[in-house]
Amino acid sequence: MLSRRKFVTSMGLGAAGVTGASWLSARGREDAVWSLLEPTLEAQAAPASAAAPIILSSNENPNGPGKAVLDAVRAAFGPAGAEPGRYSGASGPLIEALAKQHNVKPENIVLGCGSTQILRSATHLFTAKTKAMVGTIPTYEECAGYADMMGHPVRAVPLDADFNVDLDRLADAARGAGLIFFCNPNNPVATYVGARATREFLFKVNRISPETTILVDEAYFDYVTNPDHATHIPLAVEDPRIMVARTFSKAYGMAGLRIGYAVGHPETIKKMADWDSGGGTSSLNVLAMQAATAAVGQDPSVIRAERARNAEVRDFAMKWFSDRGMKPTDSQANFMFVNIGRPVKAFRDACAAKGVKVARDFPPFENTHCRISFGTMDEMRKAVVVFGEVLGKPAAAVA
Amino acid sequence: MPLTRRGFLESLTSTRSRSPIGDVIGARGHEAYWAEQATGQAGQTGQAGQAGQASQGRSGGAGRGNRPALPEGVEAIRISSNENPLGPGKAVLDAIVGKFPEAGRYPFNSTPSDAKLVDTIAALYKAKPENIVLGAGSQEILKTAIRAFTSPFRPLVTAAPTFENCTQIARRLGHPVYEVKVDSQLRLDLEAMLTVVRGAGLVFLNNPNNPTATVHGLKTVADFVQRVRRISPDTVILIDEAYHDYVTDPEYQTAVPLAMSEPNVFVARTFSKAYGMAGMRIGYAIGHTDNVKPLARLKMPYNISVFGIQAAIAALGDPQHVAAERARNTEVRAFTVKAFEDLGCKPTASQGNFIFVDIGQPARGFRDACAKQGVMVGRDFPPFEGTHVRVSMGTMAEMRKATAVFKEVLRPTAPAAGSGSRGGGRPGRAFPFTR
Repeated sequence: MLSRRKFVTSMGLGAAGVTGASWLSARGREDAVWSLLEPTLEAQAAPASAAAPIILSSNENPNGPGKAVLDAVRAAFGPAGAEPGRYSGASGPLIEALAKQHNVKPENIVLGCGSTQILRSATHLFTAKTKAMVGTIPTYEECAGYADMMGHPVRAVPLDADFNVDLDRLADAARGAGLIFFCNPNNPVATYVGARATREFLFKVNRISPETTILVDEAYFDYVTNPDHATHIPLAVEDPRIMVARTFSKAYGMAGLRIGYAVGHPETIKKMADWDSGGGTSSLNVLAMQAATAAVGQDPSVIRAERARNAEVRDFAMKWFSDRGMKPTDSQANFMFVNIGRPVKAFRDACAAKGVKVARDFPPFENTHCRISFGTMDEMRKAVVVFGEVLGKPAAAVA
Repeated sequence: MPLTRRGFLESLTSTRSRSPIGDVIGARGHEAYWAEQATGQAGQTGQAGQAGQASQGRSGGAGRGNRPALPEGVEAIRISSNENPLGPGKAVLDAIVGKFPEAGRYPFNSTPSDAKLVDTIAALYKAKPENIVLGAGSQEILKTAIRAFTSPFRPLVTAAPTFENCTQIARRLGHPVYEVKVDSQLRLDLEAMLTVVRGAGLVFLNNPNNPTATVHGLKTVADFVQRVRRISPDTVILIDEAYHDYVTDPEYQTAVPLAMSEPNVFVARTFSKAYGMAGMRIGYAIGHTDNVKPLARLKMPYNISVFGIQAAIAALGDPQHVAAERARNTEVRAFTVKAFEDLGCKPTASQGNFIFVDIGQPARGFRDACAKQGVMVGRDFPPFEGTHVRVSMGTMAEMRKATAVFKEVLRPTAPAAGSGSRGGGRPGRAFPFTR
C-alpha cells in the first residue's frame, strides 16, 4: 500500500505523470469510477435487483427538490411552452434572491454551471505554474484535478488521525500558494471544522501568505448539525482573498439541474465573471435558474427538514457500522467515511451486484475506507442488509 | 498584403481598448447578454439592481425592465437573438417533466445519463462516442476551442462580421486575432482568409454565417479545408453549423463527414436554434477523435442538466419537428425578405433563421425606433452598423406585425405634426403610434 507520505510527494511533484488525476479532472469527481473505470457496474447491478439500484455514491439528496421547485420549472416553460427556446434573462432574479438570502449585494455573487464551474474558474484564476493549488488529501478533487491538468503544482496535505483537517499543516503549506481549497464539511471524509477554528485559519493564512486566495467550499453547509457553525460569506464579501462556493446540488436536491455560485468580494467576483467568458448565464440553463430562484424563495423550514431527515438517517447508518466494529468518521454531511477494513473495490462491486451503489476509491484510503452517501431511511434499511451480507459481520460480532 | 505577425500583434494588443460593454459581452456570451438587455436583466456582475422585480413572473422570467413602456395591449416581438419562436415542442417538454423525479441526481446517475446523449448523437452520424464532446451550449465548445488551439503565437483567423464569441475570448486571453472582412456579397471571404492562415491556431468558419446569413456549399468548404491543410497543416478549422437545420440551398451540406475523416477539422452544433432549446444550453463538437480530444480534455464535467439530456434525446428522436421548423422558417423568411425588398432594402441571400438587410441607415436608430413599438431587432454588427440590421425570424404572425413597424420606421407616411423638417426614417426619432 502506498504510504500517505509517498502519495503526497507524488501528488506534489509528478503533476504531469498522475494520470488518475488528469483523468478525474477531465471527467469530474462524482462521475469517476462509474462510467469509465467500471463501465460494467450498472450492467452487473441490474439483474441482481429487480428494482432500480439504490444510489449511495454521489452525495445527492434522494428526495430531490420538492414540488415548489418543480412547479417553477414547469412555469418556466411559459404559457406557450416556448420559453426554453429563448436565451435566458433569468440570472438577475436569481442573483437578487441569493443576495437577499445572504444579506449581500448582487455584485458579491457569480453563478456557475454547478459549483464545478466555480471551482474550475477559481483554480484557473488563482493558480499558475509558480502558484500552487493546496488542499487536503483526500478532498473533493475538482480543483486539484484541474490544476494538475493545467500543469500547475498541487500540494496535498494529509489529514490528522481522526480525518480532520490539520489546520496548522495546511496553513504552512499555503505559504506562497495561489489557492487553498478548503472544503467544509470535507468530502469525502465528512468531517467538519468549526466556525471559530475556520475563521482563525483564514486569518492565519491571510497573515502568513497574504497573496493566497482561499476558496471555502460550503457545499454541505446545510447538513451540519454541530452548533459551532456559521457561514464564512460575511468574511468573503469583505476580503478579496476569501471566496465561498455554494451549490444547489446537495440539500436543495438539484444536482441534476447544474447550478451553483460563489460569494465574495466584488473584485474577486468580477475576476470570476470575466474569466467565465462564454460562461455566466450562457452556461446556465433557464430551467435551473428559475428552479433555483424558487428554491431560494422557499420557507427555510424546507432545508431545516432536510437537515433533520438526513441527521436521522446518518445516526442510523453510523450506528449500524459502529455496532459492527467499523468506525465511521464524525460525519457532519449527507455521507459517511467508514473504515470497513478491506479494499473498497471488492466491497463496492459486491454491493453493486446486489443493487446498492457506494462511492469510488479515495486514495490513500482505498484499502480501508468507503464513502457511503445517505439515501432515504427506507433505502438505508435495505442497504444495510446488503452491507451485512457482503461484509459478513452481524452486530457485535467484532470487538 | 497581410500584416506582418509582429505588426499585427501590436495592432491588436496595444490599440484596441476594450469597452466596458465589450467586457460584459465577452463575459456573458453575446446572445445571452443581449437577451438580458432586452429583458432588463444586466445581471451577472451586479447590474441587476434596478431590474429585479420587473422581471419576475412574467412569461417565465421575460421581464421588461429597461425598455420603454409599450402601448397598452402591445406584446413585445423578440426578433433579436436568432431563436426559434415556438420553442422545443411538446415532446421535449414532456420529456423534461418526465425527468422531474430525477432532478436530484447528477447527470451521470440519471436514466438516461449524459453518456446516453453522447451515444444518441454519435449514432446519428454513425460515429463513436469518442467523436462527440458535449458543451453547455456550443459556446462552451467555442471557448474551449480558443483555449485549446490558439495561443499568443497561434492566432485565431475569423471573419468580420461573424459570431463574436471566439474573437472575444481570444482577445481576453491576449491571443492575436485576424478578422477578415466578408466579401461583396457578405459571404465569408475564404480566399482572403487563406492569405492569413499560415501559422494560425484556429480558423473559425461559421456556416451559415451569423449575422450575414450567407452560406458556402460543401465543395467550397472542402476545397478551403484542403488548401488550409497545404498552407498550414497544423491549423485547426472549427466549422460552426449552428444554423444547419435552416439551410435550404442544395449546394450546402454538413461538413461532419469532413470532420470525421480529415485531420484538424471539427464541427460545432447546437440545440439552441432549430431545436428551439436556447435556454437549455446544449451543444456539441463532432469530429475525428484526434480532432476533438483537446476539447474533451477541457470540457466542464456534467455540463448538461438531467432535463437537458432527456430533452435533447427526445428532440433527436423527433426529426419531423425540425423539418417542420425549417419549412415554417423558410416561408417566414421569404415573406420578410420580400417585405424589405418592397421597401427598397436589400437583404443578403439568407440561409438562416434571420436576415441581414441593408436599410441604408444606422442600425441603432432603426433598432431604437422599432423597440419603441415593441419590436426588438438585432444589435450592431461592425463594420456594417451604419447600413445593415439583423432581423431574426419570429412566427408569421409576429413578422406581419414587425414588417408593418419596419415600413413605418423606414418609410413613414404620416408627417409629424408641426414639423416640416423631419427626414424620412431618420434614426432616433420618436414615431407616432399608429397601430
